[in-house]
Formats: sequence, structure tokens, C-alpha cells
Amino acid sequence: MLELDGLRFAHPGQDRQYAFSLSVAPGEILGISGASGAGKSTLLDLIAGFVTPLSGSLTLDGQSLVGLAPEQRPVAILFQADNLFDHLSIDRNLSLARPHGRLPQDERDSSLEAVGLAGLGRRRASTLSGGQKQRAALARCLLLDRPVLLLDEPFSALDVDTADAMRELVRKLVSARNWHTLLVSHQESDLAMSDRRLHLEAERLQTG
Amino acid sequence: MLSRSAVQRLVPGGLVAAGGGTLLVTLLVLIAVSAAGGDSGRMPDIARILYVSSIQAGLSTIFSLIFGVAIAWAFNRLSFPGRNLSVGFLSAALVTPGLVVAFGLISVWGRAGWVNTLLAPFGLAVPPVFGLFGIVYAHIILDATFAAALLLPRLDGLAATRLRLGRSLNLTPWLRFRTLDWPALRPALPGLAAIIFLLSFTSFPIVLTLGGGPANQTLEVAIYAAVRLDFDLGAAVRLALVQLAISAVLIIPATALSLVPPAGGGTRALPWPEPRGVARLAGLILIAAGLFLGLPLVAVIVGGTGFGEVLGQQSFWNATATSLIVGIGAALAALVAGLAVASARSAARNPIAGFALSAPAYVYLAMPSVTLSLGFFLGAHRLGLNTGTIGFWVLIIAGALLALPYAVSTLTPALTGIEGRYGRLATSLRLSPLQRWRLIAWPLIGREIGLVLAMGFCFSLGDLGVISLFGSENLSTLSSAMNRALGAYRTDDAAAISALMLILSIAVFVALPRIFERLSRAGT
Amino acid sequence: MIRNLVLAALLLTLSGPAALAADKPELTIYTYDSFAADWGPGPQLKAAFEAKCGCTVNFVATDSSIGALRRVQLEGKSTSADIIVGLDTSVTGQARATGLFAESGVDTSGLNLPIAWDDKEFVPFDWGYFAFIYNTTKLPEPPTSFEALNAAKDLKILIEDPRADTPGLGLVLWIKAAYGDKAAGVWKAMWPHVVTMAPDWSAAYSLFLKGEADMVLSYTTSPAYHIVADNDLNYAAAPFEEGHYMQVEVAGVLKSSPNKELAQQFLTWLVTPEAQTIIPDTNWMYPVVDLPETPAGFEDLIVPDTPLLLPDDEVTAKADEWINEALDAQH
Repeated sequence: MLELDGLRFAHPGQDRQYAFSLSVAPGEILGISGASGAGKSTLLDLIAGFVTPLSGSLTLDGQSLVGLAPEQRPVAILFQADNLFDHLSIDRNLSLARPHGRLPQDERDSSLEAVGLAGLGRRRASTLSGGQKQRAALARCLLLDRPVLLLDEPFSALDVDTADAMRELVRKLVSARNWHTLLVSHQESDLAMSDRRLHLEAERLQTG
Repeated sequence: MLSRSAVQRLVPGGLVAAGGGTLLVTLLVLIAVSAAGGDSGRMPDIARILYVSSIQAGLSTIFSLIFGVAIAWAFNRLSFPGRNLSVGFLSAALVTPGLVVAFGLISVWGRAGWVNTLLAPFGLAVPPVFGLFGIVYAHIILDATFAAALLLPRLDGLAATRLRLGRSLNLTPWLRFRTLDWPALRPALPGLAAIIFLLSFTSFPIVLTLGGGPANQTLEVAIYAAVRLDFDLGAAVRLALVQLAISAVLIIPATALSLVPPAGGGTRALPWPEPRGVARLAGLILIAAGLFLGLPLVAVIVGGTGFGEVLGQQSFWNATATSLIVGIGAALAALVAGLAVASARSAARNPIAGFALSAPAYVYLAMPSVTLSLGFFLGAHRLGLNTGTIGFWVLIIAGALLALPYAVSTLTPALTGIEGRYGRLATSLRLSPLQRWRLIAWPLIGREIGLVLAMGFCFSLGDLGVISLFGSENLSTLSSAMNRALGAYRTDDAAAISALMLILSIAVFVALPRIFERLSRAGT
Repeated sequence: MIRNLVLAALLLTLSGPAALAADKPELTIYTYDSFAADWGPGPQLKAAFEAKCGCTVNFVATDSSIGALRRVQLEGKSTSADIIVGLDTSVTGQARATGLFAESGVDTSGLNLPIAWDDKEFVPFDWGYFAFIYNTTKLPEPPTSFEALNAAKDLKILIEDPRADTPGLGLVLWIKAAYGDKAAGVWKAMWPHVVTMAPDWSAAYSLFLKGEADMVLSYTTSPAYHIVADNDLNYAAAPFEEGHYMQVEVAGVLKSSPNKELAQQFLTWLVTPEAQTIIPDTNWMYPVVDLPETPAGFEDLIVPDTPLLLPDDEVTAKADEWINEALDAQH
């Protein structure tokens, strides 16, 4: 269980203070909606460790994550764009899932197959379409296999059909791997795939 | 909280910044301590020097920016064979030794120069190029070309989407400049103005050679006189502090300057030809720039065609070898230090930390090279090092320090851009600093690396200040060989050496950024 | 070659030059760079003296003679220099005041100089007169005095900065020696003729050769270079009625030198005809002894009737004041 309890944060020099409380079960997708600037990205930054909270707790299965540096956290992220290093091949992008060891070729291939990109490993990332890039990035999340998955509007740059297929794929993988998943989006079509939904308003999360 | 990788990048940069700052203070203290007792108490009329050099530097800055924008605009609008070479020529001008520029200018516009020789049959003559006019003119040759070289990539790198939008709106040439080009240029102008003002404000050989008399002076000249003529080291330190204090105000905007635009364009996105009349204007601007700014440099190269005799001298080849080694050493040192500071700045989240990291590097923009040389000399002497032989290393370190501000302002925006785009991804993937460098930075900043190496190399190539105390029979560089030849009636030798130095600078500026761009891309 | 140079630099830095000297005594001479250059007198003097002394002579070149003095002052008692060669009479007073120089022990009474020489520390080794040089084809009737120069219409001259350069200082002393209290007036009338005050002699002379002015402040011996090196007879020095200020170049031994005896031997040898024969056609100045043959190119040089030279203690005390007087006259 991923739990946030009264996790408070304020951007330096700004008055507004955010406070977040929520919980996500393994294999569950929690959808977060809210207008632009409501603090959706701030919430993900707090969980990923890119910003430091003022107070409150953030735990995974009872273990606090607050003191951990971003690279120590059990978190994988899928951004809206720039999930791949454009100048590297897909294979090398995937290898980065094991920065300190070697990634066997068959593991790489099977992850690409799982996201429907079999055979594209040697292509340079910049030559892929937007949907293919997101799939490749998802393949890397599979290889990383970290317990928490943060989805930061990962479908909003895709066309309708591609986005549908992608959502289905994510749903399948989350259930299979039991990832604690947070999906941030302002699009109804995205939020429809979540198990539960919260709405961000006035710096607080509301049910609904 | 700070990620481990941020810490790993902040520490080396912080060390370089602290080291640079400590070194500067140490050098000044060394001179001040040696000055104890031998103080003549005589100070030149600082108010007058400041007044004179502010006017000169102000005019140089204004005109350099106007011409720089015009030249960059004209280059952006035109395509012609030799464009790349001409752009390389632009960048090389900044690092040409001042004395060489002054002589080139006189070859063209002097009393017996090319222009007057052409005009003589018609009974016409151009006015003399000495005095305020000559100084400002020579500074424009150096700085307008520098500004143009720096602004051009901003125009060439404009996003295709913006050009498409502009073209679909059928913007007039003036509106196109105002709505598309100007916003891309404007952010660079305050920093550029600060650097050009500093360069002109501390100018030395140009002011002395073309100044016409003692009325035109800079603090740098006064410092030189205090050291050489009066041997008043106390006055030298006080004057250097005045120069540093005044420059500190200018360093604040200068640290914000990116020498290379953040969005690493380099190819022009979308051809959009101007109407014929405007294209002609652009052509005219380039011809005028070639005539007024390029020709003096061409004259330097033409003047050196009699290099046959120089090539036969063993001492020339020794000087060439020393210059090459020192230049390469200085270039590498500037690159390493520049990378450390720039990557720390890309990891630093608040602007004050960023400023603290780069300010020590930028102070070297205002550090008089006589003071630098003197401080190193005294330091080496106190440590019991043989000043004759340590000179080799001092040349490398000093060359690197003088190029460091340019290295930082070239690398910082590139690394900051990469950090903005890929920083979180790299952190969440737990990449080590080495992996970050090998996989993300190196493949994307090859061109900037080449540019920094070229600048470091050329700054040390053109140095005349540091070598003045450390030169010896065993240690002579191309610029000291040029000076030595000038001091013994051998003007042809000197002309040949300066021509070769200029050709070398241009070659390096054209070649290195390209070579490194290829090298870095080849790895991916 | 590049690797060897780096290695050599490393070795030198680590071990110092002593390691190279083996057991031969070593004589280190600070001088200005064109003196030590391939084409200057340095290499020939080195070869000739090494042949007789069984020692090694090292020239260390700085960018100017003042530079050599400043370097010794900065290094103080621990300087590695045994001798400075190339100081001139405008700075000998200053050099003496540093207390760093020992008595030379050289008998200078038999030397052939236009003035009597009586100096315990400094040994003259060549000399010349400051003069304005012109091109005879372009200026058929050069001025014959400062007054004529100042009265001439459209005549342009190049001078050097007295704050940074010895000929520049020489001109200040020249006008002072000739005009005394009226010097400021002479400067005031001269400034309109000055194209520029160059940072040093080399810049001024280069500008002159490029045709930027009719005359340049240099030495009466400058035409000899053009005669010998370029076979060009068109350069000449303009004789001035007021007389010409002298520049005497001197050498001195440092008190701190561990090789004082050897250094004194070198200075004694430096004023023998053997060494003096080398000087004129490499340093383009007059020798201090009568040579059996007049050096090439020196036959037709002008010989001023009135040599001018101010006492060096007066120069040391007043140089600043006189320089300011000259510079302020521009306003």
C-alpha cells in the first residue's frame, strides 16, 4: 500500500500550501484530475522525490520514503514526452533500466514484444512515432519493475486510437505486475481507466 | 531533497569556483605583500581614466551591438558558398591579438594603406584612424564580429513552426524581424553588452597603439605603467581592485549570457527568402562588413605572405610547438573546469547558487593579465619554484583561466537544456554521473565542446601579457616570437607570424566544433 | 617532438636547471628579448665566451630591459641571475638604488664614449643617440631642430610612451636636457604633430615603416640596419641643432651571484674588441671601443656635435615629474 498522510508542500516564495492525503493499493490505478496548475505535477514530484515536503508522511508498505533521494525511490515514471533519449537507439534506452549491469538481449526483446514493438530495438528513438515512443518507455517500466508507477499525462500527446490501445496495455500490465499506480490527467477518457478517482481543487484532494 | 547525482555535479563545480576565487585573491595578496614598503603613494587620475574609458567602451559597445545584429541578420537571410568559412572568420576575430588587429586596420585605412593608395590618384584621402575613432573602430572589428557570431545561431535555430506561422501570416520583412528575430536576439543582448563593455573597458594594446596620446587611457594601461615604470606594486593592486570592483557590476548581467542558444539549432529550419530589395540590403551589409571589418584581417594574412624566411628558422618551429602544446593544454583545462562549473550550474536549483558558482569564473574577464602574470610570478618565487621553467605551466593555467568565462557561458545553457529535458528521467533511471556524461551530455554537446576548445586554444595563442614575465630563451610562444621580431626591425617576420597565428585561429574555429560534433554523434 | 617538449618541461619543473648543468659553472644573464634572439648578439656572445671560460652561458630573455630589472627586483636576493645586460642610462639610477648590484671591478677608463664614464657598478657595452628617422625619398628636407619640427606644416611624427618604454623616456629627457624649464612649451607645440604615442619602440617603428608618419623617434644607428639587412639607403637620421640625447646600454653584476668572479670576467671580456665586434651589426648600436674596421653600415651615419646626457640621480628623482609635464602638455 502506498500512503500519503498530510503531506504538505509549498513552492519557495509562494504562499499557497498544498496538502495531500491518499492511498493506493497494489494493482490499483488511482486517477487524479484537476485544472492546469492545480498541483497535479507537484503531487507526482513529491512522490518521485524531486521536491521535499514540509511535513507529513509518505510510506510504501509502512516504510517511509521521505528521506530517500529520487534515485533511491521505488518509483518508475512515464512523462507526457521525452521519456526516451532521442539520440540513442531503443535497445540502449532499454538498457538504461539496468544502469549498473548488463541487460540480456532476450529480456529486452520480450519486453518490446509485450508492448507490441518487437523488432524495433535497433531503431534510433527519434525515428519512432509518438505512440511507439510511449510504448518503448512502457517497456522500460516493465524492465525496471518498480512497485510504484507514476503516469504524468502519458496519453495526451497521442491520437485517439493509439491512446486507447496504450491505455489497455497499461491496464493489463498494472494488474499483472501489481504496481501502485497514480494517473494524473485532465482528460475524461484517461481517467475512465482508473479504479478510483480524486479531484484536486484549492490545493486539496477531494473525492469524486 | 537533492539527488545524489545533483550532489555529484555540484561538488566539482563548487571546488572549481572556490579554487578560482581563492586563486584570484591569493594572487592579489601576493602582490600586495610584496609591495609593502615600496609604495610611492602616487596614483594616476582615476576619475579621468574612468571617464575616458567609459566613453570609449560605451561607444564600442553600442556600435558593436548594432553592427553585430545587422551582420547576423544578413547572414541569416542569405545562402552563398563560403558562408560557413565566413562565419568561422567572425568567431576568430574575438581572439585575435589586439596589436595584430591594430596593424591590420592601419594596413587598410592608414596614411599609406590600401584605401588611401587607391584614392591618391584622385587627390582624396581618408582621415587618420588614430584617437577615439581608431580605438572604437578596432574594438568594433573584434566585438561586432563576436556579437554576430553569437547572435547568428539564435536566428538560424528559430523553430520551423514559428517560421511557418510567420510565413502563413505573410509578415513584412520588418514585422518578421520584430516578431520572430528580435525576441530570439533580445535575451542575449544585456549579457553580450556587458562582456563587450568589459573587453573594451580593459583593452590594452589597441588603446596604446591607436590612442594617439596619453589622453586615451584605460585602467589596464595604468596598471601596466605602475608595474613596469614605477615598480609600484601597491598602486598596481589598488588599480586592479578598482577595475575588479567596477567590473563586478557588469559581471552580474554577463553571467546570465549564453554564448550558444539553449535550443541547439545549427541548421536553418525552413528557407524563407526575403523579397529582392531586402535581400540586396542584406548583401550590402555583408559587403560593408567584409570591407570595414573583414578587410583589416585579410590585410594581416596578405601582409604575411613573405613567410618563407620565418619557416626556415628553428626558433619559429620551437615557438610553434610550444604554442600548440600550451594552447592544447589550456583548451583542455578550460574545458574540464568549464564542464565542472556548467554542470554544477545545471544542477543548482536556485539562481543565487548559480551565480555564486559562475561569478569566480567571470571575474577573470576583468582580471588584468599583467596582474595575473605578476601574481603567478611572485607565487612561484615564494614556493621556490624556478620561474624560468614553471612558466610553461603558468601559461597553460592562465590561458585556461582567461578562457573560462567563455567556456562557462558556452556550456551552461547546453547542459541546463539537457538537464531540463532529461534530468528527471536520468535521475529516476539511477544513471551514474559517468553514464549521464557518456550517454546524454557528450552526444549532445559535441559542438559546444569543440567551440570551448577552440576558444581556449586561441586565447592562449594570442596571450602577450602572461608570457611577458615568464618568457625565456627556452620558452617562447608565437606571440612572444612576433614581439621579439618587432623589437629588432624584423617587421616582415612579425607580419608572417601574425598571419600564421590568424590563419591557425580561423582554422581552429571552423574545424573543431565540426569535428567534435561528428565525434560525439558517432558514438550513438 | 611535442612529447619531448612536454617531458623536458616536466623534468625542468621537477628538478630545476641545476640538474642539467653537471659540473660546469653556469652564468645566467637576464636581458631583453631581441638581445637574446637568434639574430641578436646573444648567441654569438654565448658561443665566443663559452669557448674560453669552460662554463655555460644562459640568456634569459624578458620583453624589455625594464622587464629584466623588474624581474630581478621581484626575485630579490634569491634571483638566479648573475648579470643583467641591457639596462640603459635612464634606469641605472633606479637600478643602483635597489642595492642589488655589486661593483663590477671593470676598468672603464679606456673606453671610447662621447662622454666621460665613471661608474663603479655598471659597465657600458654599447651606445647610441636618440634621433628622428625619416625616409629621404619622402621627406627631402627634414627639420633640423625641435623648433623647426614644431613649426613645420603637416609634419607627422611617431613617439613612444615614456611610461612604458625607454626611447619614449629618452625623448622626455632629450627635450628636458635641451630646453630645461621651457620643455613644457616644446611639448605643447609638438603634440599636434604626434600621430600616436605607441606602447613601445617596436610598435612605433612598425607604424613608421607602414608609412603612418614622416618621422619616428629611434636611434641615429637605425639606418645602418636598413643598409645592411635590406640594402636600403633611403633611411636617415635627422641631425638636430640642440644636440642628441645619448642612450648608453650597460651591464651589471648582481650582489647575490654565486659566480661573481666569472660574471666579472664576462663583463671584462664584453668590452674587449673581440666581443665588441659582434655588437654593432646585431644590436645596431655603437661599440664602446675603437674597432679596427668600421662596422658595416655605420660609415655614413650622422655624428651629433653635442651629446646630451643628464646625471642619473637627477633622472631617478625627477623622471616622473618630467613625464607628467610632457603628457599634460597635450591638453
